Formats: sequence, structure tokens, C-alpha cells
Amino acid sequence: MSDTILRTSASAAPEQALLDQSILGATAGDWLALLKPRVLYLVVYSGAAGLLVAPGGINPVLGFTAVLCIAMAAGAAGAINMWYDRDIDAVMRRTSRRPIPAGRIAPEGALAYGVALSALSVLLMWLSTNLLAAMLLAGSIAFYVFIYTMWLKRRTPQNIVIGGAAGAFPPLIGWAAVTGHVALLPVVLFAIIFFWTPPHFWALSLFASGDYANAGVPMLPVVAGQKATRLAVMRYTLWLVPLSLLPYVLHLTGPVYGASAMVLGLMFVWHAWRVLRDRQDEAGNSLTRDAPAKAAFKFSILYLFLMFGALVVDHLI
Amino acid sequence: MTEQRPTSSRDWSPEARQEFYRRRRGRNWALLAALIALCGLLYAVSVVKLYHAGQMW
Repeated sequence: MSDTILRTSASAAPEQALLDQSILGATAGDWLALLKPRVLYLVVYSGAAGLLVAPGGINPVLGFTAVLCIAMAAGAAGAINMWYDRDIDAVMRRTSRRPIPAGRIAPEGALAYGVALSALSVLLMWLSTNLLAAMLLAGSIAFYVFIYTMWLKRRTPQNIVIGGAAGAFPPLIGWAAVTGHVALLPVVLFAIIFFWTPPHFWALSLFASGDYANAGVPMLPVVAGQKATRLAVMRYTLWLVPLSLLPYVLHLTGPVYGASAMVLGLMFVWHAWRVLRDRQDEAGNSLTRDAPAKAAFKFSILYLFLMFGALVVDHLI
Repeated sequence: MTEQRPTSSRDWSPEARQEFYRRRRGRNWALLAALIALCGLLYAVSVVKLYHAGQMW
């Protein structure tokens, strides 16, 4: 839209398009997009679940503030991630329209925004709940920014295995916000998200590996190939299923969660099996346009939603 | 012949100027809403904290 407004022609150089965007400035929606709102749903959901199943209860205003802080911190970490990864975001088709590579927000502005929101979220968490929750929140931001984004992402195909811990913090933080301490159940919930992350992201990377290869990000399909990735998806899913049953086996939850974990786990294994047995060429490249991998990726999101939903329902009845 | 490209606000067309104002207005309203929401949240948290502190005495 701004291209026409500024009378740029169709053959305008990309640098000129960037200049046009930077002159017009960002919209409020661009600043919101820096927070990666689509990723926030699961973070908020798992954080709220941790908060709801914690013993003792919390004042609704403080509970709402705690969940808001978790969302704000995750968004802030996402903004810093976009600042750091702006070079590879520009190369990848999926991310090239983000506000920084598109030239609508200056990198230093995005960094300041991310740092300010991080500080605000931690401070607000401390004021409204307790120091432990605030420290865990600060730890999750630091882990995502320094360990995952700056250290692991561009160096090792294990980036999302270890980096997945950053996304596993919310239930732990939610629990700590209510109780002021950490117990076995939130640690197991942390482990469930930790082991859920690799099959979730590797299913995505199976059909987006071209993008990652162009950007030089060593995702598993780029480094080890498609076949090894399909096996890894199955391996981590098989570890996830018994782990997800642990809260029930240890009598930390009831039968609603136990039955849900069993059924959903078997469905996840079935999806992983379809990814493994997808029709493929010699190199393991899909001949079905990665339909099973796409289905597994979608199901993995539903899996986590239903698992934590069952956990809350189990706690409430 | 290539078209002259705007490099500063003086070169803007009326439409570009309008678009710039529209975006700036949107950002300002969003910032105002965020600040009011933050003030409201801090006020509510303070009331709850003070209420709980009062109950302990």
C-alpha cells in the first residue's frame, strides 16, 4: 500500500521499498507482531494451567497479572529474538515479512522494546506475586535469548532440544506464582513440554527445511537429513508418552488426565509413525508434499492444548 | 525515465502524508491504551496487596 502512496514503481529496488517503509513508520500492529502473538497462545495457556492446578489458589487479579506477565515476557523475548535474527529472517520466506526485515521497525527500536518489556514483566511479576516466580520468569527470558537464540540456534541441530526448555517454563512459573515454591508436578509438566518440543518443531522443519537451509540454520533435516529427522520425531514421541503418564502414575493427577494422556499419546505416536512411514525417495524426501508431517505438526499443538486442558479439568472435578 | 523518489517528508505526496499521520495516530492511541491499562493494573494489584496486608494485622 505504501509503495503506491510513495509512487514507487513495480521495478523499485528492495532498498527503496525498505526506505519507503521506514519513512512511513510502523503501525501499532507491527509492534504487536514483534511479540509473536501466535506463539503466545500456548505459553499463556500452559502458564495459566500451572497456575490453576497449584494448591492454595490465588486472588484473580494477581492470577491475571501473573499470566499477563508470562505473556509479556514471552513476547519480549520474541522481540529480542527478532532483533537478533533479523538477518536470517530476511532470507526465510516464512519470516521475511516480519516488521524488522520488512523495514517497518528499526532493529534498535525492537531491541529497546524487548528489553523494556522484559524488565517490566519481571518487575510486575515480583510486585504482584513473589520473587521466585519473577526469577523463573527472568530465567526463561535469559534462556530463550542467550542460550537458544544467541548460542544454540545457529550452531547445532540440537538447538530446539535444549532451547525447548525456554518454552517449558510457563507451568513452572504459574505454579510458583501461587505457591512461592516448586514441586514435583510442575517439574514433570516442564519435562512434558521439553520432550514435546522436538517432535513439534522437527515436524515443522520437515516441510520448511528449504527455508532453514537458505538461512544457514542447522535444523536437523538440513544437517542430518530427512530420514534421521523422521526417526528422531518418533524417538522423542516415544519418550514423551510414558513421561506424560507420570503425573497419573505418581498420583499427582486423577483418571481424567490419565486417560487423556494415554489416548492423546497413542494418537501422537500414530502421527509420528505416519511421518516415519511417509512415501519418500531415497533421501527421505516426502512424495506426498509432507502431508503426514503437516498433520503431525498440527496435532502436536492440539495435543498440548488437550493435555493441559485435561489437567485443569481433572483438578477442578 | 525513472521517477523521482521521496527521501524526506517535504517530498511526500498528500496520500503519503495522510498515511504517515494515520500510522502515527494509531501508534499513539495504542500507547495511550497500554499506559491506561498498566495504570489500572498497578492500581488493582496495589488494592489487592493492601487488602491482604490489612488482613494480617
